[in-house]
Amino acid sequence: MLTAFAVWLRATPFSIAIASHDWIIPAVQSLHIVMIAALIGSVLVINLRLLGLIETGQAVRALMDHYLPVVAVSILVLALTGAVLIIGEPTRALFRITFWIKMALVAAAAILTWGLSRFSRTPMALAGGVGAAYVLKTGAVIALILWTAIIFAGRWIGYTEGWPGAPQ
Amino acid sequence: MDINDLAERLKATPLSQAISGSDTLFPLLECVHVLAVVVVVGAIAIVDLRLLGLRARGRDIHELLNQFVPVTLGAFAVGFVAGALMFIAKPDTYIANAFFLVKMGLLALAGANAVAFHLIFSRSLARVAAGVAAPLPARLSGLFSLSVWIAIIACGRWIGFTT
Repeated sequence: MLTAFAVWLRATPFSIAIASHDWIIPAVQSLHIVMIAALIGSVLVINLRLLGLIETGQAVRALMDHYLPVVAVSILVLALTGAVLIIGEPTRALFRITFWIKMALVAAAAILTWGLSRFSRTPMALAGGVGAAYVLKTGAVIALILWTAIIFAGRWIGYTEGWPGAPQ
Repeated sequence: MDINDLAERLKATPLSQAISGSDTLFPLLECVHVLAVVVVVGAIAIVDLRLLGLRARGRDIHELLNQFVPVTLGAFAVGFVAGALMFIAKPDTYIANAFFLVKMGLLALAGANAVAFHLIFSRSLARVAAGVAAPLPARLSGLFSLSVWIAIIACGRWIGFTT
């Protein structure tokens, strides 16, 4: 079914248009990386703040209110630029395991970030107890590991062979 | 000795052979390089967007510099080492690549802008408190920095499409 989808996608005018201009894929990849910079800059501030390593003069909630909208917009633009890359080369990423690992990691990191934001609003977290700090710090470490893994997986898509039976 | 001889001699070193002879070392270096680049640009963008008055207008610029310049410099050091190792692995293809040469030129510009910013504005910006706009030259410096770093990312990505 995925193969049929990819073959159909490759025949669409949009896909043909992208594939017929050599500069579109590198340009969209560049925009993709610029948005990753916006995303990583934002999640780095949030998670390093939770760990008490940066911006300790700022309240956690104030930083989250400032940076979480950037995270959300970045993820949206990354999904759009990523979709353009897939439409341009439908038989590439969709058939490589690293792409799906990356998607699973993105889902996990996004849910974790949302969860940490929700948790930071709870009375328990606002009271600033040791237990709440432990939860937030553990979450921050896991989030930073996930975002790093996402970047590694993203770069590795280009080095992964398609799985057996993938269309050429 | 010209640059091509230098590249050939570099290519013959055990370090170069070790990286280019491995299936995983070069991609791993690329991963570390990309991670470092996005941290550098992400942290610089926070400062540049404050200078431009587009984000974090309520923050003291000097305080933002104190928080994010160390992050930028640390990540840059990591990205530089990873990038240097990538260069050592295949120096001949990089020196023949126009996007690589442009990227190096842009890095020099970004560095010169950062040093000039530090020398000219770091004292005066200590007086630019929260909620106050940066002076026009400092805003232009932020715009220049952000533009050059985006161009650096694009050149870096384009290197891979031209070798």
